[in-house]
Amino acid sequence: MDTKLLDILVCPVCKGPLVYRKEEQELVCKADRLAYPIRDGIPVMLEEEAREVPLEEEI
Amino acid sequence: MAARLDTAAVKAAYRRYARVYDLLFGAIFQPGRRRVIRSLACRPGERVLEVGVGTGLSLPLYPRHSRVVGIDLSRDMLERARERVRRHRLEQVEALLEMDAERMAFAAGTFDKVVAMYVVSVVPHPERLVAEMCRVCKPGGDIFIVNHFSSSHPLLRASEGMFSRFAGKMGFRPDLPLEPLLEGSGLQLVEAGRTNLFGYWRMLRCRNGCRSELAA
Repeated sequence: MDTKLLDILVCPVCKGPLVYRKEEQELVCKADRLAYPIRDGIPVMLEEEAREVPLEEEI
Repeated sequence: MAARLDTAAVKAAYRRYARVYDLLFGAIFQPGRRRVIRSLACRPGERVLEVGVGTGLSLPLYPRHSRVVGIDLSRDMLERARERVRRHRLEQVEALLEMDAERMAFAAGTFDKVVAMYVVSVVPHPERLVAEMCRVCKPGGDIFIVNHFSSSHPLLRASEGMFSRFAGKMGFRPDLPLEPLLEGSGLQLVEAGRTNLFGYWRMLRCRNGCRSELAA
């Protein structure tokens, strides 16, 4: 994913900023603890497709 | 919960459609798409959002100097769009994303222009879609909506054409009233033109009003 996209992308739930995790191919919202997957280069910005990040996992 | 079910139904329908969509709708809608994208009059570097980009039939029509972002709820349709971008080396396409148009993941005021062609009638809550289009568009930016509307607006009151009788059968909400959609959105209707099909489809060009400035 082109990191320039991070300037325009926000969490669809809270509209807050996202962190790009390259290894995991995820965009993470720290506030909601939701990780949006990037599948085959297409970010999936849907709440129902997001992974809930457990409290013990550092973000 | 009802909204979620509706969204699932839309996704399922377009999964079925994806393989045959270009064949069924490509030729019918392409003149309209061409006309709309010409009306956008994209200036170099301007960022455009196409809501409901589908299989990307319109993507080759955007000028090379623009920056286009496309979203769609259907993964199957987007994969075809991505293939089209690769095949035609469409440098103007900045990104394709899986997104719910009623709940977009863009920061406020991101785009110079926002376009939704043949989309408003197939989303569960058209007013939420329009509100999101306004939010992600810059204040004073242009919003283009191609759809069929019922309206008493003098710009749209002209004859509907024979096509309207068949619209319901094609899965469109045939009589989407225009006024409630624009009222409260902060959008100003600037132009209402015909696209194709006996004047059934209308292209609305709206200016994104001051409402979004207040919200920002």
